[in-house]
Amino acid sequence: MTAKITLAGIRDKARGGEPLSLEDGVALYQHPNLLEVGALANEVRERLHGDRTFFNRNLHINATNVCEASCKFCSFARLQPGDPGAYTMSLDEAWGKLRARVDSADPITEIHIVNGLHPGLPFDYYTDLLAGLKRIQPSIHLKAFTAVEIFYFARKFELSIEEVLQKLRAAGLDSLPGGGAEIFAPRVRKKICDDKCTADEWLEVHRVAHRIGLRSNCTMLYGHIESVEERVDHMLRLRALQDETGGFQTFIPLAFHPDGNALMKLPGPTGVEDLRTYAVARLLLHNIPHIKAYWIMLGVKTAQTALWFGADDLDGTVQEEKIYHMAGAETPQVMRPAEIVRIIVNAGRTPVERDTLYNVLAEGAALTSDKPFRRDVRRLEVVS
Amino acid sequence: MSQKKIRIAAVSFLNARPITYGLERSLDAANDDRFELSFDLPSRCAERLAAGEVDLGLVPTAAYAASAEDLRIVPGIAIAGLGEVRTVLLVGEVPWTEMNEIALDGASRSSAMLLQLLCRERGLAPRFREVPHAEVLDAVRGTIGALVIGDAGFSAATRFPHVQDLGAAWHETTGLPFVYAVWAGRPDVVDGDAVARLRASLDDGLGARPLIARAWSEAHGGDPALYESYLTRSIRYRLGAEELSGMAAFFARAHGAGLIPRATRPRLYASDASPSIRPPTPVGARGSAKSVDALLSDAAAGGRLSPEDAMRVYREAPALELGAAADQRRQMLHPDGVVTYIIDRNVNYTNVCVTRCKFCNFYRPPTNKTDGYVLTRDELTRKFQETVDLGGVQILLQGGLNPNLPLTWYEDLFRWMKASFPLAIHGLSPEEVRYIAEIESMSIRAVVERLIAAGLDSIPGGGAEILDDEIRHAISPLKCTTDTWLEVMRQAHALGLRTTATMVFGFGEEPRHIVGHLDKLRELQDQTAGFTAFICWPFQAEGTRLKLHDDTTAMRYLRIFALSRLYLDNFPGLQVSWPTMGPEVGQVGLRFGGNDFGSAMIEENVVSQAGAVFKLSAEDIERYIRAAGFQPRRRNMRYERLAAA
Repeated sequence: MTAKITLAGIRDKARGGEPLSLEDGVALYQHPNLLEVGALANEVRERLHGDRTFFNRNLHINATNVCEASCKFCSFARLQPGDPGAYTMSLDEAWGKLRARVDSADPITEIHIVNGLHPGLPFDYYTDLLAGLKRIQPSIHLKAFTAVEIFYFARKFELSIEEVLQKLRAAGLDSLPGGGAEIFAPRVRKKICDDKCTADEWLEVHRVAHRIGLRSNCTMLYGHIESVEERVDHMLRLRALQDETGGFQTFIPLAFHPDGNALMKLPGPTGVEDLRTYAVARLLLHNIPHIKAYWIMLGVKTAQTALWFGADDLDGTVQEEKIYHMAGAETPQVMRPAEIVRIIVNAGRTPVERDTLYNVLAEGAALTSDKPFRRDVRRLEVVS
Repeated sequence: MSQKKIRIAAVSFLNARPITYGLERSLDAANDDRFELSFDLPSRCAERLAAGEVDLGLVPTAAYAASAEDLRIVPGIAIAGLGEVRTVLLVGEVPWTEMNEIALDGASRSSAMLLQLLCRERGLAPRFREVPHAEVLDAVRGTIGALVIGDAGFSAATRFPHVQDLGAAWHETTGLPFVYAVWAGRPDVVDGDAVARLRASLDDGLGARPLIARAWSEAHGGDPALYESYLTRSIRYRLGAEELSGMAAFFARAHGAGLIPRATRPRLYASDASPSIRPPTPVGARGSAKSVDALLSDAAAGGRLSPEDAMRVYREAPALELGAAADQRRQMLHPDGVVTYIIDRNVNYTNVCVTRCKFCNFYRPPTNKTDGYVLTRDELTRKFQETVDLGGVQILLQGGLNPNLPLTWYEDLFRWMKASFPLAIHGLSPEEVRYIAEIESMSIRAVVERLIAAGLDSIPGGGAEILDDEIRHAISPLKCTTDTWLEVMRQAHALGLRTTATMVFGFGEEPRHIVGHLDKLRELQDQTAGFTAFICWPFQAEGTRLKLHDDTTAMRYLRIFALSRLYLDNFPGLQVSWPTMGPEVGQVGLRFGGNDFGSAMIEENVVSQAGAVFKLSAEDIERYIRAAGFQPRRRNMRYERLAAA
């Protein structure tokens, strides 16, 4: 016989550092009072990080959108080279993105690389891509290739997962992004991404990466056909791997965007559901240090609000994001560091610029030397 | 005002006792030289008022409607109820739908009309027959039912197998309270002092409800606890914003059903007196020593925040605690978990404007001959017809201050609109009304009267920006002052128009400006109850001449919105602003105190150049509302719920 689950009971567990159960997670999703769930998540967030809210200066490279997989939620991939809208960057083109930023007034510390599963590119393309970027800026952190890509490389180039990771690391790979996890439940994967690697395969790539000393992130694509139980189950599987390896840095809930893909009849999650998912994630994933509100996908306003619902990271400045924008995201493609800082300060939080591994590069007053806004009506400035 | 005694006819029923309680006591003490009080049945009160035998009567709202042109209502006082009222009952041996005749209590006017209206709206057509008050229950037999009002209802409720509470039936249909009776009299008989006396009388009576219940039980038998719960739970004595909406909805529906000859609206005596709905100022209101937590829980429970405490709450309360308190307050005000929205269209009839506000990217000065426009009847016809076709019920009609448009232009426009389209006119913000008064050299009151006669239904609360002349001068030096904005609203409310109120923040204002703005709205609402809803949003700098220096992010919006829900304790509605904040944050606002999602915003279809589209479809709006845990319902400007289209 199980005792009735109450928010008070969950609060006691959360305060005592006790892991929450599947039933607890479902109860948090179903609790009628969003703000109480949010306040509890915020309590955990503040215990871990106080007011600190992290961001970095980064750049996205999506080197190709040609992809063998035909995931129903994807608006980015083109199945064949030569399909309308299909592209593959030359190495020089990809390197050029970093060259433009080195020694500029707008330097970056990280490149995030995620691509389609291109059937025709040789393994050298990827190793050369990394090595070339490192040559341009040796200090750059390369967070590249989802577990789905790594698994695809292993199969296609007949290597073990570890061999793939070691070769990429030798070429410059520093960590793995968390994409491609979608929803682990086989029922959902079969329907929306049947030709992608399985949950166990995804988790195995991260397990191996953690074992050889690479850090990684993890994600969940929510708001399509999955049930609340399947979301909670997904998070608990991530938590179990984290218990084993400790290698995840950040969990990033990704809201499904419906435009331009095979699931476009679905509405996608609303703001309240986004905030709820952030709060539940913060409470369930007690062993993953950071929860990231990926503003590109949430929208700047909801992302800012999420900083009170468990999130402590706003991702980065990002540039040339393609995957979500092809699915209808109306967010800008870039935010300047000063804007990110202003959003964080206006949320009543302390901005912290980090590198990919969460080393602090600048914090608080160092980032807010320009007052984010004035409170003096006599100095209202007229533009023209 | 002469000091002639005001002759008053009040009702002898239990539910009217608290209203006259204070008056009776001062009359007993024989120290009253203002009032002369007598008691009668509700219908008789109305007859005596009409005959000039008394100056002021506690009259059925239906009787007020019959001669509304000649009468004014005392603000702040009513006999009303939200849902079950227990003393207005349809009883019978068969269900309502099977009655072929209904005996009407001769003492009743409003309830009889309410019953006839509800019958018609349900497609029922029983015969109605009026019988004397004392004999009504004897009429019940077979398929003959009876409408019982007043204290007879207490015993009737258990005597018959079929009992329908009409207060409950009205609430189910409209979501609004029903107003049974109000103080009404000729326009010149009641001054501010008399209003204050009447309100004080009710205040005394509200405090004395246990005594009144006991005395009634001793005189008439029955359970004093039942009477007390009736006086405290079933009856609402405040003529607040929702009650005014309920009254207006009753008049509109009754007119639609042909039960009253003219569409009419509740017009009020002017009052600047401290009203009965204002609780006594808490001790130490100037910066109470309470913790922020205590302030939040007081306000969440309906307590009134002082300006100083509100500023502390705004500065110090953590975001989610502020939001949770507002959510709790919203839950208390709207316990049925309904969130409303409206289908209407925003039409800007002209962009020519003399005001040159720095934050506006819409206006063209009258000297601009290329981009300035006034919409033609053809363009308006298309827009209005599209609105009707898309299920819209209202036009939000606003424009610039165009010196070429005289009052007659608006009158012609409104008359033509009303004759041609089944659309309510929610139009002309205070600034436009003031400007028309200026170019016509008329008083604001006279302009509003003419506009009402031409068809104006309600006034949007735009142009309030921040109601502080320091800020207003900096951003829109040529625009009306704080006092003028409030005066237009005060006059409109007195003439029976409902209005909304807005606030635009993000001009560099401080918490004291925000709270000051809210305080001015709350004070006027105490006096008139004419505001239906409050809407705020951050300044949208894009395309304007003002550089954005202020915090206009989602978190500030949510904080200010939640603070507004707590501070505006006499506003029934708080509308989220999804067009400025986006639907996601708008939806989150529903959990920070909001109970209305605003409009679906019918817009020009710029892509195809053909027809109009919704910026957010009704289906989308309902999805957002449901996903936030609420039930969506369409409404009109009175916040009267409409059947889904």
